[in-house]
Amino acid sequence: MSIKPLVAPVALVVVAAFAVPASAGNKLVPAGQRIAVAKSAMTVQPGTEWNKLSERPGRKAETWTQDGDELNDLTFYGGIESGKPLFREVDRKNQPLPKVSATMLITDIPVLLENSYRIALGAASVRIDTIEPIPFAGAKGVHFTYTFSKQNETLQRRGDARGAIIGGKLYLVTYEAPSLYYYDRSAAAARVVADSVQF
Amino acid sequence: MGASDDIGGIMLKSCRALLAALSLSLAVAAPAYAQEKTGAKPGFSLMPGTARIVLMRPSIRVGAQSTGGMYEPNADWTDQARENIAAALAKAQTGLGNSVVAYAEPLGADGAKVAEYRELFGAVASSVIEYQFFKGNRLPTKKRKDQFEWGLGPDVRALPGLDTADYALFITTEDHFGSTGRKVLQVFAAMARIPVAAGVHKGFAGLVDLRTGDLVWLNADMQMGGDVRDAEGADKRVRQLLEGFPGKPVEASVVSAPAIAASPAIASAH
Amino acid sequence: MRNPLPALVPAFLLAAAMGTAAIAADKRPPLPTYTQAYTPTTVDERGLWMEADERERVQRESRSLVKDPALNAYVRGVLCRTVGEDRCRSVRLYIDEVPAFNAFMTPNGAMVVWTGLLLRVRSEAELGAILGHEFGHFELRHSLKDFRSHRIGTDLMAWASILVRNSGNLQYAMVGQMYAFSRDQEREADMTGFQYLARSQYPSSAAADVWVNVMGEADATAIGRKGRAQHKYVAGVFATHPTDLARATYLRAAAIEAHDVKPAVVDTHQAAMAKWLPIFLNDQIKLNDFGGSEYLLANLAGAGGWTTPLLCARGDLYRERGNPRDLVSAAQFYQEAIARGDAPPEAYRGLGLSLLRSQQLAEGRAALVDYLRLQPAAPDAALIATLVAQ
Repeated sequence: MSIKPLVAPVALVVVAAFAVPASAGNKLVPAGQRIAVAKSAMTVQPGTEWNKLSERPGRKAETWTQDGDELNDLTFYGGIESGKPLFREVDRKNQPLPKVSATMLITDIPVLLENSYRIALGAASVRIDTIEPIPFAGAKGVHFTYTFSKQNETLQRRGDARGAIIGGKLYLVTYEAPSLYYYDRSAAAARVVADSVQF
Repeated sequence: MGASDDIGGIMLKSCRALLAALSLSLAVAAPAYAQEKTGAKPGFSLMPGTARIVLMRPSIRVGAQSTGGMYEPNADWTDQARENIAAALAKAQTGLGNSVVAYAEPLGADGAKVAEYRELFGAVASSVIEYQFFKGNRLPTKKRKDQFEWGLGPDVRALPGLDTADYALFITTEDHFGSTGRKVLQVFAAMARIPVAAGVHKGFAGLVDLRTGDLVWLNADMQMGGDVRDAEGADKRVRQLLEGFPGKPVEASVVSAPAIAASPAIASAH
Repeated sequence: MRNPLPALVPAFLLAAAMGTAAIAADKRPPLPTYTQAYTPTTVDERGLWMEADERERVQRESRSLVKDPALNAYVRGVLCRTVGEDRCRSVRLYIDEVPAFNAFMTPNGAMVVWTGLLLRVRSEAELGAILGHEFGHFELRHSLKDFRSHRIGTDLMAWASILVRNSGNLQYAMVGQMYAFSRDQEREADMTGFQYLARSQYPSSAAADVWVNVMGEADATAIGRKGRAQHKYVAGVFATHPTDLARATYLRAAAIEAHDVKPAVVDTHQAAMAKWLPIFLNDQIKLNDFGGSEYLLANLAGAGGWTTPLLCARGDLYRERGNPRDLVSAAQFYQEAIARGDAPPEAYRGLGLSLLRSQQLAEGRAALVDYLRLQPAAPDAALIATLVAQ
C-alpha cells in the first residue's frame, strides 16, 4: 500500500520542497531465507531479493519493494484486530477508514480494501476485478485482483491480494504496481512470497 | 484553487496546516543533504552515427516568486523558455551528430496512453531520486556499484511516432525567479539569521532507449543555473540538464560549470 | 475588503418596501458584463490561464472522467438553461467521478462537476443553482482576485515573521483576512448565481434548498460519527465559505423578494440520472459515512419514493456497517427491493450475506443460491459457492 497522505492543496502556496523521508534505513531481504513479517507470527520465504522499507503503512504492516513503492509494492498486514483500520488513517475525524470486524465474512475482505482505498485516494476509480477462494496458510482464504488510479491520474495500477480472517484478525498480502511494465515484471517474485505464507 | 475551487462550506482549513505550509515556503533554502544528481546505465553509449532522439513534450514552468514565497506563473517567460530550451537542445545535440525532433502528441486513446507513460516516467524518475540518488533512503538492492537498472519497458516503442526513433528524451524544468520583494526580504532575513531562499530553479532530464525501454540516463538537479528566459541562459541550462549524458560528453567543448558551485549565483542573478 | 452583501440585501428590502409585486427586470442587480471569447490580459491572469491550460491537459485524460454523452448533454443543458446560451457555449465541461459535493470552474473556462454533486441535487433547478454559482466565480474572475489576495497576505506574513517578534497573532490575523476575502467572494458568487437562476426558467428558491440539504447532511454525518451536529451559525476565522446556514438564509430571503412565479417545467433530472444512480450510490456507500449516506438516501427517497436502487444501496450501507441490528435492517431492505420485482441479482447476494452474518444460515444460503442461479457468471461466484457449501 503506497498511498501517501493526500495533502490538501493549501491555497496557492505551492511548496517546492523536496520530500525528505523522516526516517531512513531500508533493509535488504535476502533470497531463500524464511523471515517473519509485519510484527506477526506470519512468515514468508522470498525467492528473490527485496527491500524492506523503514516506513510502515500501519503498526502491524510492512512494505517490501524492488524499485520503490510507487513502482512495486508488496505489503503484509499481520493480523489487524477488530476495530482497527487496514492502514494508518490520515484524517481520523473527517475521513475515517472502515474497520476490521471479527465477524467479517471472507467476502468482506475485498470490500474493506476497496473502501479503504477509495477514501484514502479520494477517487472512485478502484475496481475489484476477480475474486476466488483459495487456501491461505491452511485457512479458508480469498484471492482477488483489482485496479485503481489516484485522483487526477491516468497511470493505472494493478493489485493482487490474498488473505483470510484467522482467529478474528485480518491477515493480508497485497502486491501492487503500475499496469504498464512494472506489474508483470515483479508479479512472479511477489507470487512466490505470497504462496510461501506460513504461521 | 481559491475562489472557484469548492462550494461545500464544510471545508475548513486548519490554521496550523496553513502556517506550517507558509513557514515551509520560507525555509526552502535547501539543506545540503547527501544527494547524487546523475545516474547512467553502466557501459551504455549512444548508438554510433546519428541517433534519432524524440523530445517528449517538456514540462516547463517559469514564473516569479512573490515576497511570501508564492509561485506566480508567467506565460510569456514560459513561452520564451520553451523556445529557448528547444533551440539550445537542438544545438547541443546536432553538435554531437544527433537529431532532436519534438514529439507530435497523438489525440484520443493514444493521447491517454502517452499521458500514462509520461506519468510512469515521473514515477520512475522520483523513485530513482528517492531510492537511489538520495543516500539516506537508498534501497539496499540499488546500492551496488555501477548499478542503474530502471526503465519504462519495451512497449513504450509502441506509442505512435516512436517506432522509428532511437531514444525518447524527457525534460522537466521549474523556475521561480525571486521577485525584488523576495530578495529584499532575504537580506533582512539574513540579518535576523533566518534562512530564506530566493528563487527555485530545478529540473530533471532522462533518456529512454526505445529499443529496450531502459532508462539509460537520468539527471536531476534541484539548484540549476542558466536563465531560461534568454537564449544564452537556456544554453547553460541545457548543458547542466544534459550533464552526464551518455556518449560523448556534452560539456566537452564548454568550460565545465558544476551546478552546485553555480547555484548561489543564480539566486542573485535575478 | 468590504462585504458586498450588505449592499445587496438592502436593495432587495427596498424593492419589497416599495410594494412592487413584480420587480421590474431593470431594477434587478445587473449581471456581470458578458464578453465573448475573453482573453486574459495582465501578467497574473495570463499566468493563471497557462497553469489552468496545463491542468486541463491532465484532467482531459483522467481515468475518473465520466464520458457518457447523455449525462454530459444533460449537465450542459442545465448550465445553458441557467446562464443562457451565449454564456454556456464556450464552457468545456468535465464530469469527474468523485463522490463528494463539489463543482468548480477553472480560470480558463472549464467547468468540472463531481458526481457527488449530481447525486445530491434533486432537480434541474438545484443543479442550475450550483452551476450558476460556479459560473459566477468564473465571470467575476474570482481566481485572479483570490490569487492577488493571497499574494498580499503571504507577503505581509513573510515580513511579519522576520520583522516582528512573536508574530504569531499578527500572522493569524492576516490568514483570517485572506479567508474573509474568500467568504466575500462566495457571497458575491452566490448572489450572481442567484441572478442567473432568477432570470432562467427555474424557480430561484432552489438555491436555498441546496444549502438546507447540505446542512442536513453535514449534521447527519457528524451525528453518525458519534459527534455532535456541527453546523455553525457564524463562519470561523478560517472558513473559506460563509456558513451554510447564512447562505440558505440570504438566498431564501432573495428568493422571497424575487418571488418569481414561473410555469412549472418537466424536470428531467431523475430520468437523466437513472442509468448512473446505482453507480453513484455505490460510490457514496463506500465512503464509510453512515449518517451522511443515510440522510442522502432518505432525501432522494423523499423526492421519488424508496425505489429499488435506493433500497439496495441502503441494504449495502447497513450491511457494510455490520452491527447486529444493522444486519437485520439490511436484510429487510433487500427483501423490500426484491418484493418490488425489479431487483438486480446483487440484492439476493446482499440478502444472503446479511442473513449469514446474522447466523440465519439456511435462509442466507438459500438467498445466495438464488444469486448464483440469477448470475452464474458473477466474478465472485466461486467464493460465494464456498459460503453456500459450508
